Amino acid sequence: MPPSNDLKDGGELRIIGFLCNWCSYSGADAAGVARLEQPTDLRIIRTPCTGRIDPLFILRALINGADGVLVSGCHPGDCHYVEGNFHARRRLETLKRILPISGIDPERFKYTWVSASESGRWQETVREFTAKIHALGPAPRMTDVVSRSKDLSLEGLLLQDENGGA
Amino acid sequence: MNNIFILRKDIDPWIKRMAEERTVFAPVHEGDAVVYRACDSGLRVELDTMPTTSPKEIVFPQNETLLTYTRGSGNEDGSVGVETTETLPSGKAVIFGTRPCGARGLLIFDQVYNNERIRDAYYAARRENTLTITIACNRPRPTCFCNSVGGAPDDSKGSDIMLYPLDDGFVAEALTSGGEELLALAPSSPAGEKAVKAKAKAGQAIETMGSPMDLSEVRKKFDLCFTDLAFWEKHSGKCLSCGICTYLCPTCYCFNITDEGSEEKGKRLRSWDNCMSFNFTAEASGHNPRSAKAMRLRNRIGHKFVYYPELHEDRLACCGCGRCITACPSSVDIRNIVKAVQEYSHE
Amino acid sequence: MNVLETMKKCIREALPDLDMVMGWEQGFDTLHATPLFMETAEDVDRLILGPTCVQSLAVHLPSLKGKKIGVVVKGCDSRAVVQLLSENLLNRENLVIFGFGCDGVVSLSRLKKKLGALDFIESAEKKDDRLCIEINGEQQDLPFDDICAPKCLTCSRPNAIISDHFAGPQRTPRIPAKGKTALEKFEEKSLPERFDFWKAQMQRCVRCYACRDSCPMCVCRDHCVAVSRNPHFVSQEATASENFMFQLIHVMHLAGRCVSCGECERACPMDIPLGLLRAKSTEVTSALFNQEAGLDQEAVLPLLSFNIEEETIEEHD
Repeated sequence: MPPSNDLKDGGELRIIGFLCNWCSYSGADAAGVARLEQPTDLRIIRTPCTGRIDPLFILRALINGADGVLVSGCHPGDCHYVEGNFHARRRLETLKRILPISGIDPERFKYTWVSASESGRWQETVREFTAKIHALGPAPRMTDVVSRSKDLSLEGLLLQDENGGA
Repeated sequence: MNNIFILRKDIDPWIKRMAEERTVFAPVHEGDAVVYRACDSGLRVELDTMPTTSPKEIVFPQNETLLTYTRGSGNEDGSVGVETTETLPSGKAVIFGTRPCGARGLLIFDQVYNNERIRDAYYAARRENTLTITIACNRPRPTCFCNSVGGAPDDSKGSDIMLYPLDDGFVAEALTSGGEELLALAPSSPAGEKAVKAKAKAGQAIETMGSPMDLSEVRKKFDLCFTDLAFWEKHSGKCLSCGICTYLCPTCYCFNITDEGSEEKGKRLRSWDNCMSFNFTAEASGHNPRSAKAMRLRNRIGHKFVYYPELHEDRLACCGCGRCITACPSSVDIRNIVKAVQEYSHE
Repeated sequence: MNVLETMKKCIREALPDLDMVMGWEQGFDTLHATPLFMETAEDVDRLILGPTCVQSLAVHLPSLKGKKIGVVVKGCDSRAVVQLLSENLLNRENLVIFGFGCDGVVSLSRLKKKLGALDFIESAEKKDDRLCIEINGEQQDLPFDDICAPKCLTCSRPNAIISDHFAGPQRTPRIPAKGKTALEKFEEKSLPERFDFWKAQMQRCVRCYACRDSCPMCVCRDHCVAVSRNPHFVSQEATASENFMFQLIHVMHLAGRCVSCGECERACPMDIPLGLLRAKSTEVTSALFNQEAGLDQEAVLPLLSFNIEEETIEEHD
């Protein structure tokens, strides 16, 4: 279900944050309590652990029209469940490196580690990522209004396999 | 009706003129596939080979929005209303360049969705506003078997206009008043003797097809082999349970209904379903009466050659186009399975 | 004795101890092979080996678990068997593997792009490095490299890497031709161009799931997340974005597991170049985890394991 466009009226973009409960969510909370000012484009979804974050969550968000996705968890070695973020690190890195083939800008996806005590670091992370997404602008959408006929651009894009290659 | 002759180079201007009033769906190349696309002009229309997809999608699209809904305001008793809006399709269309089997497929659809007993409003709205322009086959493919299921390479049933191909153009004949109107838009010349030549050529095509399959015992034998699961396991062993055969089939009409959206708003969607998939008959309880692909393939054969004919005056729900054979990644050949049913005997 | 006869002999000898052996026989024309499930010695007579034997029969193995099965494999197919074994999805003791040295297989998609519709094939035969075809009454003689499956051009493992019986001679691995791969060429495009490319491709997808169902590594079978309503990752709408979502699910679920057999792309009735997505995923996981799928029965899936210090992953601040 595509989100409504209301958010854009205020000049905001749609950034989704997946945060682990134990470190980054607490860090973000602490930043709020300390009144560390942050841009408000980010919508946070709390998860038990970065290990719970299926890369498909991120893909679904990006394909549904998110302009950016930020994932943050405990620093490697500090996972509440000992190894959840070690697994996450491999998955998230794999996703980030595969993204360019899809045409989705990998800069729209960031993963990082912020502990519960690093409220200043959280503020910095949100500010930087939001600024980057604003610099990139709204993400292109694979909207489906295009008539199935108007695929003329396809012709020039079709791969010529004359020289082969897998 | 009068026969006229249309040069190949005049097909494009003809489509352009028809497209002023109607959406013209014609076969075009995409990759190595040939698919129906809305055309006005500029797309290279492919009229010499059977399209990969079938024309059913034009009257029965893969996804049809039946209605849209939004959450209403809350009532005093705490209940929440839902506002729904019906979304009936509108507009006129032309199916350009189907083969006689594709046109036959639509007649098989009509028996289910638009007839004296049942009128599916969505299907009817598209079907009744769609005209069919069919190209006769001068050279049926080795996988074609329309002559076994009641059709023929020059069968004009279900078509508004028939085009009989010659090297430099098509002899065209309107079969309905709608067809006549469309044909009047074509740049053309009188067909003269070409008409006889072109029709004779198409008429002879059936002779290249080999003798029709004997299906006389299929219904009787199907009952016998129904419980012989080993028989069906043998024939479905290499099937991958994918949806190619059903989705490309001009006659497969089964659908699924889902609500897609959120609690706030969304749509009720009717989508093609695929009897080869596990989910087709999966029940909410977790039970699945057709849990194995052998049972699903049995159902596909049964539906086309037994159940449908029993309901619809012995007509088969197969038009013999052969798409399920040519496109199958495992090259499962429905003709062999039907033949095995026909020749079935105990032990 | 040629390769085919040697193979038939091996199978006939092994058959009495097996429920069946999977191989190929000719399909509805000489360009199409179809899987052959051999249960009797007479069935074995119909076996063929050659450039039309495209299907990876490994796809059927997990569903036959519990039976004693023989399977004929090309080099690429054997990697799927190894991967399935490494994932503990097959019992080695119930499996008899008949390997041979593969000489390359035909890509009908590339052949269609050269010859047009392939409806009227009278004969097709591989002679050395050419494919001789009689089509529409004409003799065509094509360099095999122009019409073989793209994977064959860079095939480094034409011989079954695991087998109980090996028929015929070992083939020499290909030295990849110079020039850019399809992936490299595709990556010359800008990100927006790539996005538009997929948008156009995905509009054609009919979501038949043949890419998934022909994939030997798609082992969820009847319980794929793409058709689940809860969680509801993909809607029933066959729109470009939903279709693309499904394709990316397939990519992520195969990351580190894809054996590059190319069955997804071959099975696609709409000729969508899914191989690009697979090639990228393989490139990424090979670089990150220094490991290729389907080569080592003892290997652990890279996305089911980790190192405390990841040498190839830059530490994120």
